[in-house]
Amino acid sequence: MRLSTLRGWPLTFLLAAVTGLSIAPFTWMLLSTTRKDTEIFDWPPSPVPGDSLGDNLHRLDRRIGLLRVLGNSLLVAGVQTVGALVVALLAGYAFAKFRFRGRTLLFGVLLSTLVVPEQVMLVPLFKMMMNFGLLDTYQALILPGLCVPFAIFLMRQSLSGLPDELLDAARVDGAGEFRVLWSVVVPVMRPVLAALAIFLFLGSWNQFVWPLVALRSPEMHTLPVALATLQGNQNTTDYGAILAGTALSTLPMMVLFLVLQRQFISGLLAGATKG
Amino acid sequence: MTAVTTPVNTPAAPPGTPPAKARTRARRGPRWRRTALPYLLLAPALVTFGVFKAYPIVDSLLLSFTTGNGSAGHADGLANYRRLLDDPLFWTALRNTGEMLVVQVPLMLALALLMAVAINSALVRWRTVWRLGIFMPAVTGLVATGVMFSFLLRTEDGAVNRLLEAVGLPAVDWLGQPFWARMSVVLVLSWHYTGYNAVIYLAGLQSIPRELYEAAMVDGAGAVRRFTAITVPALRPLLLFTVVLSTIGTLQLFDEPYVLTGGGPDNATLTVSMYLYQNGFRYFDFGYASAIAYALTLLVSVLGAVQMRLMGERDR
Amino acid sequence: MSHLSRRDLLRASGAGLLALAAGGALAACDSASGGASGGDADTGTVTVWSWATAALALRGVVPAFEKDNPGIKVDVQDIGNPAIWDKITVGLAAGGQGLGDVLHIGCDYLPGYLEKFPGGLADLSAFGADAHRDKFAKGLWPVVTGKDGHAYALPWEANPLGFFYRKDCFDKAGIDPTTFATWDDLIAVADRFKAANPGISLLGINKAANPDPDLDFVQNLMQLQGAFYFDLQGKITLGSEPAARALTVLKRLDDTGLVADAPGAHGWADLMKTGKLAVAPMPSWAAHYLEAKFADQSGTWRLTKPPAVTPGGKRAALVNSTHLAVAASSPRRRAAWKFVEYALTRPASVNSMFTAGGVFPALTTAYADPMYAAPSAYYGGQSVLKTFADLATDGGDATNFTGDYARALKLASDAQTKVFLKGADPAAVLRDAAKQLAQQTGRTIA
Repeated sequence: MRLSTLRGWPLTFLLAAVTGLSIAPFTWMLLSTTRKDTEIFDWPPSPVPGDSLGDNLHRLDRRIGLLRVLGNSLLVAGVQTVGALVVALLAGYAFAKFRFRGRTLLFGVLLSTLVVPEQVMLVPLFKMMMNFGLLDTYQALILPGLCVPFAIFLMRQSLSGLPDELLDAARVDGAGEFRVLWSVVVPVMRPVLAALAIFLFLGSWNQFVWPLVALRSPEMHTLPVALATLQGNQNTTDYGAILAGTALSTLPMMVLFLVLQRQFISGLLAGATKG
Repeated sequence: MTAVTTPVNTPAAPPGTPPAKARTRARRGPRWRRTALPYLLLAPALVTFGVFKAYPIVDSLLLSFTTGNGSAGHADGLANYRRLLDDPLFWTALRNTGEMLVVQVPLMLALALLMAVAINSALVRWRTVWRLGIFMPAVTGLVATGVMFSFLLRTEDGAVNRLLEAVGLPAVDWLGQPFWARMSVVLVLSWHYTGYNAVIYLAGLQSIPRELYEAAMVDGAGAVRRFTAITVPALRPLLLFTVVLSTIGTLQLFDEPYVLTGGGPDNATLTVSMYLYQNGFRYFDFGYASAIAYALTLLVSVLGAVQMRLMGERDR
Repeated sequence: MSHLSRRDLLRASGAGLLALAAGGALAACDSASGGASGGDADTGTVTVWSWATAALALRGVVPAFEKDNPGIKVDVQDIGNPAIWDKITVGLAAGGQGLGDVLHIGCDYLPGYLEKFPGGLADLSAFGADAHRDKFAKGLWPVVTGKDGHAYALPWEANPLGFFYRKDCFDKAGIDPTTFATWDDLIAVADRFKAANPGISLLGINKAANPDPDLDFVQNLMQLQGAFYFDLQGKITLGSEPAARALTVLKRLDDTGLVADAPGAHGWADLMKTGKLAVAPMPSWAAHYLEAKFADQSGTWRLTKPPAVTPGGKRAALVNSTHLAVAASSPRRRAAWKFVEYALTRPASVNSMFTAGGVFPALTTAYADPMYAAPSAYYGGQSVLKTFADLATDGGDATNFTGDYARALKLASDAQTKVFLKGADPAAVLRDAAKQLAQQTGRTIA
């Protein structure tokens, strides 16, 4: 026992080093958020937080309208997550539990879009939204994210593990299909749905290039887009505000992940393990 | 040999359960409803897919056969593709992408596997902490990554260079020199996704029955032999999954060069996706941008298929 | 009961999506069929698209205009820069839909719009714009005229190049920059300057061009020679001798060790703020900018004419300009033109806009105003505006940005980076860049 604990130290040391590298940038960012611009690049960096957090947030708010921007991000990510979840649940259920003409083909077509680079869709999407008159609206951000092939894939993988007997029992009791879905499938699948929801929310919360292209007015900006405008502005070197914004965009996701890490990881795995 | 049942996060179904059969609904409801139901369930997905994925894809494919920009585009067959072959920047982008792929994916996945094996080792303590810590970068978005690292990698006063100097190494012009800019992209990319892959491997490792290893030890197999004979075969589906996904991801690499280097300096970090973006949204040359995209799509598909074949075949 | 409503909900969501898609398709048909044709009404509300302080300045002209032109109201909107370019591009691509009546357009976009969206901007010659052509600084009129020789915009802002320098630094080295006839004269005294001012550079340039190209200096030196990436016919001149000379000047300056690297979007401002730069070869808008941004360096900066690139060469260049145009799709083009004419051809309105928004006027008759001769404390009592007014009156050669400016800029930037990082030969890299530009754009090399 004693020997093996001793032998474990090199490994533990290695892990500590890699973990340190993984979280050091966050630590630096969070600490810098509390500092003045002039103190950010001090060396060695002080491990104690500074006292400028409020100032930095205040300036950030003045520049980008923090509440509005956070609200935009929450609204877009929230609606998109719920929408994509419903779409994926229904489609995954159909693919996993029904046999119908074109099933394999449709599923294949859905998945094949993974190899098409996302940037190529920017141009036609942009033209489409322009024609629809939807540029610079929430719809423009939300609609393209409703069909997430990877989410459908994940739902199908998970749902195909669901015993048919469970569904049959409900059907024998006279429940319609949507009722079976709602009161049998959804409750049992809650952990998967939760995992998928986090996954989708994360993706939507962080999405950047499409919103950058589709949005015009500052009051429609989501947090990443607003941050990018701060960063690109030649006339300002407001590091404190930029870092505060960056922290605000990352922190919620970190907390979400800490709280729900089990679901999160199992959600990632559902797709990986049953190829 | 060692067929592995990897953990599924669903209400456990016995691994052998056959896929759902239509038989269950044979007794129920009018016929049209039975046949229509799956399509009804699929309708939202198909509509959103059709409008916001399939249509744009087809549209951009058509677009790749037109030249000219602004409102003055006209159909011109394969002109864009011909132009592609003669475009030194496209080849530069392709070479950059290929080089980063060859260096980054194997290194990252090897490190991820090493991390997973280490965390899974019986000798190690505080596993949850490590698992949590190395996974954390995966939640960071593109803009946040860009902001953090453009500060950390500053030449004069960035923390990375200060650290290098503190241990007696020379400072590096991370984003200003072609070679180091490429290294920066590779490092940040690896920072971003190593933990993600490690966690996937870890879950796979945890599902390998310990008895297998014990039996192997009894038979006198050393650590390396146990790794190659038990661990690697058991992880093969996961390895395939991560190799294919990482390959696709790196071939389509856009985020890191976009936020860190803008493709520079002197196009040292220009990737195919970056070049496509520049053509579409800087120069409004949508037709050419689309041609670049489809050249890339072709490449991704071929490489993905080859990998599946190479790695999947041995399974049978 | 409750399950019923949920079922309905699910169904409704599916139906909603279908309706949405159908609605979208309808909207698409609409825009395809209904190209905006425009009209020549001379009453109604004229919408003006501009940005930032320029928008503010335009608003100042509105009350007087509305008083003199009953029946016309003006609504000036601040669209923001660079958002305005995407918006105008999108509007023109959509056949003029949703554009403002009057558009504020920079010289880097105007030729592209004229070239790629023919018929997108209104022909102002039809309204008599040509009568004003000689009132503007020399070199600007070709920028606003299309291939047909008609005017499609009026010049508003003109930016003659200046040479700002830190008098204190040069004094320390015993150098008087007003004596520089060419850039070679500056290079010749570089060592003396360096010895007297350790840690201070002449120029700051973003050598890796990250995130954006930093080509103003080279571009300006080309313009001083009456050259650019393209000639007036749109042929490529990126590989020409003047281009190579411009880049060579920068390389030789860099070889003296006095060109600091200014990385990132904020690099240059950071260097300036810490007083590490002694020369700012910048156009007229910088007169206000330096004063506002680096207030603590008051009294140290002076302005003189930019040195020539070749002995006896020109020492004036209009490096860029902005313009007001009228959208062809506007139903009230005449009213829009009236506002443009009112705002840009009368010294009183142009000068009031200069005071309010710092937009240095292209209208040469405006320079008679006493405010141009007034001394500035920030520049040690120099009348910098007078210098710029003189430079603008001298005018410059017309610069043809064309619709492929962005590509040319990127390629020129790559060439510059090669020179900085690999010590490449300026003429060779520019020739390569010109070849690539020809390959990318289908233009011929002049």
